[in-house]
Amino acid sequence: MTGVSVGQVLLVAVLVVPTLGAAALALLPERLDRAARLLGVIVSGLTLLISIGLLSGRSAGEDRDWVYVNAGWVPAVDLRFHLGVDGISLPLVVLTALLTFLCAVYSLHSVPAPGRAGTMLALVGVLEVGMIGTFLARDLLLFFLFFEIVLIPMYFLIAVWGGPGARHAATKFVLYTLLGSVLLLVGILTIYAGAGTLDMVELAERGGGAGIAPSTQTFAFAMVFGGLAVKSPLWPLHTWLPDAHTEAPTIGSVLLAGVLLKMGTYGIIRVGLSILPAGAQRLAPTMAVLAVTGIIVGVLCCYAQTDLKRLIAYSSVGHMGFVLLGVSTLTAAGVQAALLGNIAHGVITGLLFFCVGGLKDRFHTSVLADLGGGIGARLPRLGGVLTFAAIASLGLPGLAGFWGEAFAVAAAYRPAGGLARTPYVMLAVVAAVGAALAAAYFLRMLRMVVAGPASGTPRTSGGSGDSGGRPSVADVTLLEGLSWAPLAVLALVLGVFPALVLECSRPAVDLLVRVHSG
Amino acid sequence: MSQLQSVDYAALAPLLVVSLAALGVLVADLFLPLARRGLAVWLALSAALAALTTIVAVGPGERGTFCTPPASLPGGVRVGPSCSYVVDHFTVLLGVVFCLAAVVVLLLSMPRLAQDRLPAGEYAFLVLCSLAGMLTLAGARDLITIVVALEVLTLPLYVLVGLRRADSRSAEAAVKFFLISVLSSAVTLYGASLLYGLTGSLHLDRVAAALGGRDELRDLPLTGAAVLLVLVGFAFKVSAVPFHWWAPDTYQGAPIPVAAFLSTASKAAGVAGLLLVLGVGFRPYADVWGPALAVLAALTMTVGNLVALRQRHIVRLLAWSSVAQAGYILLPLGIAAGSTGRSDAALRTAGAASLTYLTLYVAMNLGTFACVAWVGHRAPHTVSRGDSAALQSYRGLFRRSPLVAVTLAFFLLCLAGLPPGFAGLFAKVVVFRSALVGNARVLALIMAVNTVIGLYYYLKVTADLFAAPAAHRASSQGEADQLARRPVPAAAYPLAAAIGLSAIATVVLGFAPQVVVRLGELAWMR
Amino acid sequence: MIEIGWLVLALPLVAAAAGFALHRRARRGAAIVAVGALGLSTALSAVLAAGVLGQPERVVESAFTIARFGELRVQAGVRLDGLAVVVVVAVCVVALLVQLYSIAYLHDDNGYPCYAAEVSLFTGAMLIVVLAADLVMLVVGWEIMGICSYLLIGHYRDLPESRPAAVKAFLVTRVGDVGFLLGVLLLGVAAGTFGIGAVLANAGALPSATVTVACLLLLLGVAGKSAQFPLHTWLPDAMVGPTPISALIHAATMVAAGVYVVARLFPLFRVGPLPLAALGVLAAITMLLGALVALAQDDLKRVLAWSTVSQIAYMTGGLAVGVPAAAVFHLLAHAAFKALLFLAAGCVLHATGQSLMSRLGGLRQAMPLVFVTMTCGLAALAGLPPFAGFFSKEAVLGAAYETARGHGEGTPWVGWLVLVAGLLTVALTAAYATRLWLRTFFGAAREDTTPKQVSSLMLGSLVVLAVPTVVLGAIGLRSRWLAGWLDAPGVALRPEAVTTALSTVLGIAAIAAVVLAWRRAPDRDPIRPRPLLARAFYLDDVQDLLVVGPYRRFAAEIADYDTRVIDGAVEGYGTGAAVLSRRLSRLQTGNVQTYATVVLGAAVVLAVAAVLL
Repeated sequence: MTGVSVGQVLLVAVLVVPTLGAAALALLPERLDRAARLLGVIVSGLTLLISIGLLSGRSAGEDRDWVYVNAGWVPAVDLRFHLGVDGISLPLVVLTALLTFLCAVYSLHSVPAPGRAGTMLALVGVLEVGMIGTFLARDLLLFFLFFEIVLIPMYFLIAVWGGPGARHAATKFVLYTLLGSVLLLVGILTIYAGAGTLDMVELAERGGGAGIAPSTQTFAFAMVFGGLAVKSPLWPLHTWLPDAHTEAPTIGSVLLAGVLLKMGTYGIIRVGLSILPAGAQRLAPTMAVLAVTGIIVGVLCCYAQTDLKRLIAYSSVGHMGFVLLGVSTLTAAGVQAALLGNIAHGVITGLLFFCVGGLKDRFHTSVLADLGGGIGARLPRLGGVLTFAAIASLGLPGLAGFWGEAFAVAAAYRPAGGLARTPYVMLAVVAAVGAALAAAYFLRMLRMVVAGPASGTPRTSGGSGDSGGRPSVADVTLLEGLSWAPLAVLALVLGVFPALVLECSRPAVDLLVRVHSG
Repeated sequence: MSQLQSVDYAALAPLLVVSLAALGVLVADLFLPLARRGLAVWLALSAALAALTTIVAVGPGERGTFCTPPASLPGGVRVGPSCSYVVDHFTVLLGVVFCLAAVVVLLLSMPRLAQDRLPAGEYAFLVLCSLAGMLTLAGARDLITIVVALEVLTLPLYVLVGLRRADSRSAEAAVKFFLISVLSSAVTLYGASLLYGLTGSLHLDRVAAALGGRDELRDLPLTGAAVLLVLVGFAFKVSAVPFHWWAPDTYQGAPIPVAAFLSTASKAAGVAGLLLVLGVGFRPYADVWGPALAVLAALTMTVGNLVALRQRHIVRLLAWSSVAQAGYILLPLGIAAGSTGRSDAALRTAGAASLTYLTLYVAMNLGTFACVAWVGHRAPHTVSRGDSAALQSYRGLFRRSPLVAVTLAFFLLCLAGLPPGFAGLFAKVVVFRSALVGNARVLALIMAVNTVIGLYYYLKVTADLFAAPAAHRASSQGEADQLARRPVPAAAYPLAAAIGLSAIATVVLGFAPQVVVRLGELAWMR
Repeated sequence: MIEIGWLVLALPLVAAAAGFALHRRARRGAAIVAVGALGLSTALSAVLAAGVLGQPERVVESAFTIARFGELRVQAGVRLDGLAVVVVVAVCVVALLVQLYSIAYLHDDNGYPCYAAEVSLFTGAMLIVVLAADLVMLVVGWEIMGICSYLLIGHYRDLPESRPAAVKAFLVTRVGDVGFLLGVLLLGVAAGTFGIGAVLANAGALPSATVTVACLLLLLGVAGKSAQFPLHTWLPDAMVGPTPISALIHAATMVAAGVYVVARLFPLFRVGPLPLAALGVLAAITMLLGALVALAQDDLKRVLAWSTVSQIAYMTGGLAVGVPAAAVFHLLAHAAFKALLFLAAGCVLHATGQSLMSRLGGLRQAMPLVFVTMTCGLAALAGLPPFAGFFSKEAVLGAAYETARGHGEGTPWVGWLVLVAGLLTVALTAAYATRLWLRTFFGAAREDTTPKQVSSLMLGSLVVLAVPTVVLGAIGLRSRWLAGWLDAPGVALRPEAVTTALSTVLGIAAIAAVVLAWRRAPDRDPIRPRPLLARAFYLDDVQDLLVVGPYRRFAAEIADYDTRVIDGAVEGYGTGAAVLSRRLSRLQTGNVQTYATVVLGAAVVLAVAAVLL
C-alpha cells in the first residue's frame, strides 16, 4: 500500500471513533449523566457518518474491496490486521452504525435502571466496534477476535440493565454463543491448517477451497456453520434467544436482533460459502432443512407465546430461517435474498423492539394479556407504529420484509448446480406456507394489544402509581419518534426500492458464489 | 577431567547470583534488628531482578557447561558431546518467567509478612532457594540434574506452605504437599533409573539417541513403562489430574503469595521439565507418551473446570482453575497421539503453544492472585481472614475499590480467554492452532467445551464484582464508604506494584503476543 | 398516455400517504385529500380509457427495475391494454362514489381520517393489480389489498366481532395467497422474468406442466380473494365492516381482483385444460352454494354478501368456459349493481339502524328513492331485462352453452356444468332477490324503526350508480364495443336465444313463486330458512374443526416442546455439569491416604498401559 487514502482513514476511523468514544464514556463520572448521553449520541452519529462515507470511492460494479487496510499484527500466528469493505459488508456496517446511533438517541429518552447511562453507552460503543469489525475483517482470526469482542459487553448490557431474570438469561446467552464462537475458531484454524493462510481475500480468490481436502472442508464448514448457527440463530440452537430478548433492555434487544444475529449469517456467507465450497455443497441441504424447520417452529411458537418480547424473538428465529434458506441455495439469488433479508429484519425487528420497549416503559409489562388491548385507541401513534412494524414483519409485499423471504423461496426453486432440486422445491413450498402463517400470530398480537376499546385497562405488574387505561400515559414522545422514524422510513423505502441494497451487494455476491456456479 | 575446568560461569551467572543472594539473606537475617527484618525481602527482590538482568544480558548463546566428551553407548550407539547445563532460548524464556514470578510473589508477600508476623528472613531465603532450583531446571539437560533441580525447588515450598505455624490448616497443607510430592518424585526417580539401566546414559540427548537408535528397546515393554513413569513427577508439579489432589488443599492452606508461587512458577517448572524430558529425551517415543498426555490433558482440563464450578472460596476456585489451565498447557503435547502430530513441525508448534500459554498464564494468574491478596489485605477488619476469601465477600467489590475490581475482572476474563482479555484469548488461539495443525480435532473439541465451562465460573465472579453487595451484609455500603475514605496504608503499595506489574505484562502480551510465541518457537526442538 | 397511467396509479397512493400523515382530528382535510385525489384519477382514467381504446395497437408498457436477485429481475411498471383501462374506470368510479358516500356515512366517527386514507390505499392497491406490468408488482398490490381489507373490516374497534372477522378475512385470503405467490415465483423462475408481457408472450414456450401447476397455484389465490369455494368463508363475516367498505370490496376491489387476474393472464390458462376445468367446478359449486345460502339469510347485508359469492362464480364460470370477455362484462355490470345494492342497504341501515329483514319492512313509502334504486339493483341482480345484469349474465350462459356444444375452446363438460349450475342459480337468485325486495320494502311498516333522514350525498351516489345499473348492458350489444375493447372480436356478448329463454322462464317462475308465497302471509318469511342453509352448510364450523382448532393445539404443543425438550436439553447441560461437579468434588476428601493411593494407582495404570499398548 503506497500512501494512505481517505478511504483507509475512514475504514480505521469507523472502528477507532467508537472505541475512543467508549473509553471517554467509561471514564466520565456518574453525575455527568446528561453529558454522557449527549456524548453517546455524538460519537455514534459520527460513526454513522463515517460508515456512510465508506461508500465513497466505490466504482459501479466493483466486486472486490474498494478500500482495504492490511498490516501485520502477530506474524507468529499469521494474524494480520486486514480490514476491507465491499458491497456485502457495507450495508451491514451502515445498519449497525444506524441502529447504534438510534439506540443512543433513544437512551436520551430513557435509560433503564440502574441508570449509569455513561457505562451503558460505553458498552454499546464496544459492541459497535465488535459488530462493525466483524463485518469489515478480512482475516479469519481478526474476524474471530471481533466476533468475540461482542460477548462480554452484551452480557453486561443484559445482566445489569435487564429484567429480573436477566442474570440467568445473560449467562445462557454468553455461554451458548461462546460455544458457538469456539467452534468457529476450531473451524477457522482447521482452514488455516489446511491452507496455511488466514487471509479471507486470498482464500476466496484461490477458489475451490484453496486446495483443502473436501473431507477437511466438510469438517471445517460444520464447525464454522455450527458455530455461527448458534448466533444466527438456527433451529434447534435458538433457545438462548427468547430468554435473552425477554430480559434484555430495549436497546439490548434492538442491537441483539438488529445486528448480532446478522453476524452469524454474514459469517456463514463470507467464511462458509466462499472459502469452503465443497463443505458448503455437502452441508447446504442440512442447512436448508434446519432453516425451514426453524421457520415453521418459529411461526408455531410465536402463535403460542404470551409475552410480546418472546413472541418477537421467536419471529426472529423464523425470519433468520428464511435468510439461511436463501444462503443454503448457494446461488446469487439466494445470497442476495439472504443479505436483503438480513437488513430488512434488522430494520423491522429493531423497530418492533423499540415499540415494545415503549409499551414496557409505559405499562411495565410486555405480557400480552396484561397489556389489555386498546392501545390503538389510547395511544394511537404508538398503536399505529406497532401495527406498521408488525405488518412489515409479517412480510407484506411492498415493505422491506417481503423481498428477502419471497426470493429466498424463489431461489430454492433453482438451487445451485450440485444440489438436488426436488427437496429444495418442497422446502420452498413449506417455507412459503410458513411465511403465510406468520400473519396469524402477528394479527393475534395486534388483536390482543392494539385492537379493542380504549376502556381496556392493563394490569400493570410494575409498581407504577397510576394504573391502566389512564390518559396520563403519553403517546409517542419526540425523542422516541426521532429514534423510530428512520427505521419506519427505511422499512418502506427498502420495500418499494430494494435495489438500494441489492445493487450495492450484487457484484460482490456474484463473485462470491462463482465457486458454486461452476 | 578437562571439561571440569571449562566451567562456563557466564552461563551459570544467574544461578550463582540467586544462590549467593540466598545465603546473603540468611546471614543478614541473623544480624538485622527485628524491626528491619523486612529488608531481607527487599534484598531477595533485588537479587531476583539481578538474576533477571543477567539472564537477559547473557542471552541465548548456545552455551553449555558440565559437558562430557563423545562416547559410544551400550548397543553401539555413537553420540557426540553432551552437556548437563545449557543456556538456550528455552533456558532464557523460562528463566525470565521464573524471575518475574519470584519478583511479583515477593512483592505480594511484603504486607502479609508484616501482618502475620512471619519470619521475613527465612521467607526470602526459601523463595530464593526455590528460584535457584527453578533456574537450574531451566538449564538442566540430564535426568539427574533435572530431578535434583526439581527437588531443590520443591523443598523450600514445603516450608513456605507451612510457614504460618499458628494456622493448623497451613501445617496440614504442608504435609499433604510433602507426602504426595515425595511419592511422585520417587516414581519419577524409579523411571529414570530404569531408563539409565536401559540406555546407559542420563543425558537427554543420549537417551534420545539410544531410544531412537536401538529398536530392541522398543520390544522391551519396560522401556515404555519407564518413559511414562518419569512423567509422574512432572505431572504432579503441574498438578495434572489425577496427580492434582494436593493442589486445592495446599493452595488454600498456604499464604496467598505462596499459593500464587505454587500455581505459577512451580507449575511452570513442572511444564519445563516435562517439555525437556518429552521433547528432547523421549522424542522417539512420542507415540508412547503422546496418548498419555492427550488423556492427561483432557482429564485435567475437564475435571478442573467441572469442580471449579462449585467452589465458594476464591483461592480454591483459583486452585481448580489452575488445574484446568494446566490441562490447556498440556494439550498441545497431546497431539503426539496422532501420526500427523508426531511430525517435527507439528511438535514444534505444540511446544511453542505450551510455552506461550504457560507464559501468558503465569502473567494472568499472578495478577489474579495479586488482586486477591489486595482484597485479603484490605478486608481483614471488615471480615475475618477466612471469610475474606469467600466469594460472596467479592460481591460489589467495584463499590469499595473500583480500580482493583476492574483489574481483577480483566484478569479473570483473561483466564477465561475472552476480550478484553486478549492475552488469554491469544493463548487459547495458539493452543487450538497447534491442536488443529496436529490434526487433533477431538482434543480441540474437548477444549472448546471446556472453554465454555470455564467461562461460567470466571464470569460469575466477574459479574459479582459489579453486582450490588450481598444483601446479608447490609452495612457493606457504609463499610464501602468508610473503606474508600481510609487512606491506602503504605504496606499496600507493594501489592499495588505487583498488580500493576502483572497488569502491564498481561496487557502488553495481550496486544503483542508475538514476542512470546516467537521465543517459544525458538525454545523447543529446533 | 403511459404517464397518465402512472398518475392514475400514483394519486390514490399519495393520497393515502398524506392521509396517514394528517392529524386525527382533521376530518375535512382528510375528506378533501381522499376525494380530490380519487376524483382526479377517475377523470384521468376516463381520459386514459378514451386514449387507449381509441388507438388500434393499444398495449403500452413502461417499467423500471427495482430489484435484481441473481438473474431474476423485478420491475415496477404499468401495462395498459383494453381490459386494464376498462376495469380501471370501473374501479375509480365505484371507489370515488364510496369515498363520497363515506363522508356522510361516517359523519360522526372520529376514526374517519384514517379510514379515508385506508380506502385510498385500498383503491391504489387495486389499481396496482390492474395496471401492474410485472407479476411481483401485482402480488404487491394483491397483498396490500389484503391488509387494507383487514384494517377496514376491523374499523369499528368497539364491535367485539369486528376484529375476528378482519383477521379471518386476512388469513383466509392469505392462505390462498401462498399459492398465488408460489405460482408467480414459479412462473418467474421458469420464464426467467416476471414481466407480464414477456411471460404471456412465451406462455406456449414454457413447459406446459410448469404452467399448469403455476395456474393451479394462482387459482388458489384467486379463490381466496374472489371468495370462491372453499375459501369463501371470510366474505360474509366481513359484513361487520362499514357498509361502504362492503360495497368497495364486493364491487370494485378485492373480489373483482381474482377474476381480473385470471382474465389478464388468460393465455397461461389456455395452455392446459386442467386449470380451467378446476375453475369451472369451483364456479359451479360456488354459484349454487352462494345462492342457496343467500336464500336463507335474514341480514340484509349477508344476503348481498352471499349473492356476491354466487355472482363472482358466474364470472369465474365465464372464464372457465374460455370467454374472459363475458366474465369481464359481468364483472363490470356486477360492480355497478352490487355497489348500488350495498350503498342502498347502507342507507337502510343508516336510517333505521337495522339490517335484519325480520325487523324491517314497508320502507317503500319511507324511503322512496332508496326503494327505486334498490329495485333497479335487485332487478339487475336477478337478471331481468333490460338491466345490465341480464346482458352480462346471458353473455356468460351463452358462452357456456357455446362451449357445451363444443364450439369455442373450452371443454364441453365444463360448459355443461357451468350452464346447468348457472341456470339453477338464475332461479335461486331471482328468488332471494325478490324475497329481499318484499321483506324490506313491502308489508307493514315497523313503527319501532322510524327511518331518519338520509343525507343527499348518499342518495346522490345511489342515483349515479343506478344509471349504469340500468344501461350498462348496452355495451355488450355491439361487437365493436366491449368485445372490441377487450380484443375479443370473435366473441358475441349478445344474449343467446336458447339460454335467454330458459333463464328468463326460470327467473320469472321463481319470482312468481316467492311473490305468491308472500301473498299468502305478508308478514312471514316467504322462504322458510333452513338451518343448514342459514349456517351456510356449516362450512365455517368445518373450517374451525379441521383447521383453526388443530392449528391452535399444534402450535401450543410445539411451543411447549420447544421450551421443555429443546431448551430443556440446553438447561440440562448446565444442571448436568453441576451434578458432575458435585460428584467429582466429593472425591476431594482431603484425606491424604486416598490421594497417595490414587497417585500410585495412576502411576501403575500408566506403566501397565505403556506395557500393554
